[in-house]
Amino acid sequence: MKRYAYYMSCINESMTKEVDRSIDFWQKDLGLEFVKLHEGTCCGGSNLDYVSPKHFALVNARNIALAEKMGLDLVVSCNTCLMTIRTAKKKLDETPALKKEVNDILKKEGLEYRGTSEVRHLLWVLVDDVGLDTIKAKVTVPLKNYRIAPFYGCHILRPSTVLGRDNPLAPSSLDQLIEALGGQTIPFEHKNRCCGFHTLLVAEEESLNVAAEALEEAINSKADFIVTPCPLCHTVLDGYQSKALKQAHIDSSIPVFHISEMVGLALGYTAKQLGIKRHIVC
Amino acid sequence: MTEIIDQHQEGKRDVTFRVFRFNPQVDSKPYFDDYTISAERGITVLRSLNYIKEHVDATLSFRAFCQAGICGSCGMRVNGISKLACTSQVWDELDKCREPGIIRVEPLRSLPMIKDLIVDMDPLVDKMTRYSNWIDSTMPLADMGKKEFLISEEEFQQYDKATDCILCASCVSECSILRANKEYVSPAVLLKSYRMNVDSRDGIHDLRLAELVKDHGVWDCTHCYRCQESCVKSIPIMEAIHAIREDALESRGPRDTSGAKHAEAFMEDIEKKGKLVEATLPIRTNGVVWTLRNLLPMAMKMIVKRRTPPPPPLVKSAKGIKIFRAMFREMTEHVKQDHLKSHKK
Repeated sequence: MKRYAYYMSCINESMTKEVDRSIDFWQKDLGLEFVKLHEGTCCGGSNLDYVSPKHFALVNARNIALAEKMGLDLVVSCNTCLMTIRTAKKKLDETPALKKEVNDILKKEGLEYRGTSEVRHLLWVLVDDVGLDTIKAKVTVPLKNYRIAPFYGCHILRPSTVLGRDNPLAPSSLDQLIEALGGQTIPFEHKNRCCGFHTLLVAEEESLNVAAEALEEAINSKADFIVTPCPLCHTVLDGYQSKALKQAHIDSSIPVFHISEMVGLALGYTAKQLGIKRHIVC
Repeated sequence: MTEIIDQHQEGKRDVTFRVFRFNPQVDSKPYFDDYTISAERGITVLRSLNYIKEHVDATLSFRAFCQAGICGSCGMRVNGISKLACTSQVWDELDKCREPGIIRVEPLRSLPMIKDLIVDMDPLVDKMTRYSNWIDSTMPLADMGKKEFLISEEEFQQYDKATDCILCASCVSECSILRANKEYVSPAVLLKSYRMNVDSRDGIHDLRLAELVKDHGVWDCTHCYRCQESCVKSIPIMEAIHAIREDALESRGPRDTSGAKHAEAFMEDIEKKGKLVEATLPIRTNGVVWTLRNLLPMAMKMIVKRRTPPPPPLVKSAKGIKIFRAMFREMTEHVKQDHLKSHKK
């Protein structure tokens, strides 16, 4: 059994509860044990870093230190949380004075940020740690009849100086996972583009235009569904889908799945169990 | 000698350049022309285009000058990515072709097309003007030309990287928001604004910042990092954008823009609960009227699907919130001390 500390993203505890729920179904099947970090706090969502860079460093040093205390790597299932926490880690590792300042405060809770735990995405754990061959061997319901559009999102790829797992111009990890589960990936120009999430409340029209472009390509490519490793991308592509397509004058729709649901389906769990019926577009 | 010639031969192959063509004066729509030339290892995309223009098709139009990655004239999309043709090696590009052996060359995006690979840079220049991207010197007129106007090395470090920008517009072409709305300020302009706003010799910081926080300004950036990833000079453009936002919050507070209010909400929620209170985020960002008008239909659908975020009282605080809050507040004291020190300076 491979053990990891599991970071609980705010959105997965509110709007996209199906992510953690579906992981709970299959983690043991793949030899994984995710220990939930109930003490973890919001990473700052790619905002706290400029509102207050020092609070940003403190909050995320603590999130990582909680995993370090257990001697485990930290696994994240939201792209923005991943990018944000890794950005903080890079800053702390490169700035000894900041690390010391933060650790002086963390002492109060008996914590210390050392920089020993890696911060990794669920997708990377599946592809790199569990391995494609093991996943293939565990598949009971191959997704063989499905044409799937892989939508990576931004913060699992860029900035590449912080992420570094996939080539941001030609990512492949999600494609590999889809194929290991028996699905067929389709060529998808928008696979490494943006969903528009981070400006939904500030520049809604622009965000919806950004989302509509990706949705339109998936629809025109006759994909059966889109799959994404990020609950924020899912929220736009699923929750805001009808609004985005209406704005772009497109009369169609396409389901959007989380990677955790796609894995669950291929391992034999039902759409109902995995929470897929909670999606806006089913 | 023969060996050298053989090696040289091995480093040579036929390469097809599939080039975007459009002359608005005669063409009703754009098309692609294929040019197959014998290219040597080490040749750049720009040198190949020069060869095509000189020996194959003199009507092909593109902009270029220094051929050394300094002037920024030859920005174009090679195999779909915005970059400089003069620093792009044909051999490297061959590894990235979607169709083997065929390199696609297209004009930059999000700028009006003039002909073939040439785009109109005027909208970008106009935005540089709108956001006053020059130093409005605070040196008394009488001293101009007579005295040096020195800055500290520490200050220069803040914008050293930003001054590397050669205005090639690769970031402009890759920007997600600009693609969605041509009014958006654009990453190159934000980078330049940042560079001017941190220069102590400049006297119009507040004026520039007031313009930057308006609609289509700094708060419309969606953090996709495409600008930074495509920058031909590896400038951390997002850091500059974040720095303008940090400056806006510090100098102006969250009062006047939804972007600033949205950002501040994260700070409030983390201090209070350690978790984001998503249910009230739209209201805190844009007010009740906007929220009802824009989000009510979707909220209804979400209620039916039971995926609405919980109301504030039901958002569970992170475990151990009390000690977390104490530490968070201790850091607030550190930040206050930092501000006092920097103001004394």
